Amino acid sequence: MARIKTLLAEPLVLASIAILILLAGGELLSPGFARGDQVTRLLTVSAILGIVAAGQSLVVIGGREGIDLSVGVLISLGAFTAGNVMDGVNGAILPAVLAAGGVTFAIGIVNGLGVTLLRIPPLVMTLGMMGVVQGGLVVLSRGAPSGNAAPMLMGFVNQPLLLGFPGILFVWALIAFVMWFLLRRTSFGYAVYAMGSNERAAALTGMPTSLLRTILYGLSGLFAGLTGVCVIGYTGNSFISVGDQYVLPSIIAVVIGGVSLAGGSGNYFGVVLGAIALTLLQSVLTTLQLEFWGRQIIFGAVLLGLMLLYGRQKQLRI
Amino acid sequence: MPPALKAQGITKRFDAVVALSDGALTVERGEIHALLGANGCGKSTLCKIIAGTVLRDGGSVEVDGAPLEPKRPADAEAAGIALFYQELSLVPQLTVAENIFLGHEPRTRAGFIDRRTLEDDAGRLLGPFKVVAGSGLDLHMPVAHLAPDQRQIVEILKVLARRPRLIIFDEATAALDRRQVEFFFRMLRELKAQSIAMIFISHRLDEVFEICDRITVMRNGATVATYPAAETDVNRVVHAMVGAMTEHLHPPQVERPANEQPRLVVDRARGRRLRDVSLTLRPGEILGLGGLQGQGQSALLRGLFGADSLDSGRVNLDGASLRLRKPADAVHHGIAYVSGDRGRDAALHGRSIFENIAAASFIRERRFLVWPSRLAERFRQAAAALNTKYVGLEAPIGSLSGGNQQKIFIARWLATRPAVLLLDDPTKGIDLAAKADFFDLVQHLAAEGTSILFYSSEDAELLGLCNRILVFNGGTIAAELSGSTMTALHLTRAAYGDAA
Ligand SMILES: Nc1ncnc2c1ncn2[C@@H]1O[C@H](COP(=O)(O)OP(=O)(O)OP(=O)(O)O)[C@@H](O)[C@H]1O
Ligand SMILES: [Mg+2]
Repeated sequence: MARIKTLLAEPLVLASIAILILLAGGELLSPGFARGDQVTRLLTVSAILGIVAAGQSLVVIGGREGIDLSVGVLISLGAFTAGNVMDGVNGAILPAVLAAGGVTFAIGIVNGLGVTLLRIPPLVMTLGMMGVVQGGLVVLSRGAPSGNAAPMLMGFVNQPLLLGFPGILFVWALIAFVMWFLLRRTSFGYAVYAMGSNERAAALTGMPTSLLRTILYGLSGLFAGLTGVCVIGYTGNSFISVGDQYVLPSIIAVVIGGVSLAGGSGNYFGVVLGAIALTLLQSVLTTLQLEFWGRQIIFGAVLLGLMLLYGRQKQLRI
Repeated sequence: MPPALKAQGITKRFDAVVALSDGALTVERGEIHALLGANGCGKSTLCKIIAGTVLRDGGSVEVDGAPLEPKRPADAEAAGIALFYQELSLVPQLTVAENIFLGHEPRTRAGFIDRRTLEDDAGRLLGPFKVVAGSGLDLHMPVAHLAPDQRQIVEILKVLARRPRLIIFDEATAALDRRQVEFFFRMLRELKAQSIAMIFISHRLDEVFEICDRITVMRNGATVATYPAAETDVNRVVHAMVGAMTEHLHPPQVERPANEQPRLVVDRARGRRLRDVSLTLRPGEILGLGGLQGQGQSALLRGLFGADSLDSGRVNLDGASLRLRKPADAVHHGIAYVSGDRGRDAALHGRSIFENIAAASFIRERRFLVWPSRLAERFRQAAAALNTKYVGLEAPIGSLSGGNQQKIFIARWLATRPAVLLLDDPTKGIDLAAKADFFDLVQHLAAEGTSILFYSSEDAELLGLCNRILVFNGGTIAAELSGSTMTALHLTRAAYGDAA
């Protein structure tokens, strides 16, 4: 019994069980929910969330109340930039990706500098950045949808490429590998965990904590920008608030995946499962024909419930 | 009258680790009872079981004759038991006063926190300590800004504020200097007069014999003996602690040629707590820093490590001038720093032992790619050099006892093969056997040419280990002891600034 209890407290196990239950529940509610092509579709949507959550998980693991609320507008900015650079031309996809990633990475770095140099709390810094970028986007786009995805990009996101899976899923797999490699096979990753666990101690081993933290926010921006490219590939064109809906889910996916909001623990595989579980939940709720606000309420409740569940086990270490 | 506490046959396992196989302890009312034993023998675990923060697997506990089955700390608190945590439990953002009454805030009739009473009461508790606490220990000061010894005083006050009937002090004096310890003991004697029972855990045997009525010794998770303090001596106790082990004596010191180029030269270093400190450290030399706590010893070591900035002064390493703006500058030049405040300065909580050792090596070797399996052997050797007890490198750091954790943080630096080792009261909370291992190792390193700056709050350690001792007072070097002046008497005199 105690065994089962500890197993259930394991985030990976919990997320896997949630995925199975949601799949079964979805199939019951609407037969065909768990069919092959539907599952591929769900995974594609999960991939988009999973990529932005990769960056989110990095800043959270890095600690000191790390969180990035600007990912939403950076997705929008990434989609806007990519859409305008490629403007429907296949040959311009690569420059579009570079431009979107470059701009959002730079803004992420500014977030990082605010957090490290100016010691602004991450919540405040990234919230402020959200306002600034949102305003900028309105001015640039004059509020109208603009930019077009190139057909090849849309095919890459929506059409089967290999074994029936679209290209974006292979990109996601690659990102998962890169995240694992970065966190477990480079000193950068070890430093991120060290810093998230005890920044003072990490600094006293010589780790350049401010630099590392700045890079983490830069990477979060970069991942958000790439997510923006995927989003425009998914929908075809961009409007200035496409990214907003990803902010809360990116945080919840990270928490479902077992990354402690206190920093210093967790890994990306959990987050991958978290992104899938959350996308499934979203899709089940849509099947139930729940309005947007209803979903937001449930998402919020899930986040709070998880905090309660995981928060309780963290006992004082003596 | 039944004893204040009677624990018998206590057992406790953490997965594969048997922390307690037969823990027993009886404490009378008005008694100060020492609990001794090597690192990892189960002292803290036994006390946590009594205080309800850890659940026992078997055995019985009686308090004043009534059985106690604490399910949570509050149950034990209700029975009048208070535990002073070895690893501190203060909330850094809260003020001194708030921390003292955390969870027990006096309330107004409307149920709000009664700040007036809270601060008055806190002030009354703190008052007597102010003389010995140094500047900055103020009721309204957030705990984050306090020095380690000041935080320890707050921790003690926090315990006293609960008006307990049985107090467990788990290494409460580890961060205190001699004057503070004396003051603390005076307070213990007052509590004793109020027939409060106390358990006192410490690795400093002189303190134990000074204050305790009886001594219980544990070894490998079991209680092996209890002695009245007046009827036993250090030797008997040490033998009971380590079982059949031979005595550790400091090995003879190796002489080195006098004309060697100095390794480290510090010229008129100034800083927030330093006034014109100059010193020369030769290869293979163990140079002691003595004096009362907080006289600039730590400030110097942290300055030399680039952790606190020096305002002015020059530092030369092997003849070349050093710029120390951040710890990485020092680490790249082979300077290592071991802090005694491991919870704050060293522990990567929640991470594995491997990660805790590896941290400094990555920086020292400018390593980017990490293949854990290839590094493991080296880290195992570093840990083995100190006879560290652990299950495996993948186990979390929190699964080790306090002393074994500290060994891991020393191993962290040994793995970098440092040229200069800065030791900032590194033996806090380490048992005698481990200390002996540690001193052997320090001398071994010195014999191989490592230069060592060693600050200790224990005079005996300085006198036993160092070639010379610089005694600090008020941020500057008040005296240098070497040869025939290396005696406890000279050291104490210089520390208190006695001209005589
Ligand atoms: N939470 C835990 N999980 C796993 N093992 C533990 C845990 N707490 C303690 N142990 C193990 O139990 C044993 C006893 O530890 P304990 O902390 O009681 O030792 P101690 O006598 O207080 O040592 P020290 O003098 O170093 O503080 C050690 O081997 C330790 O590794
Ligand atoms: Mg202990």
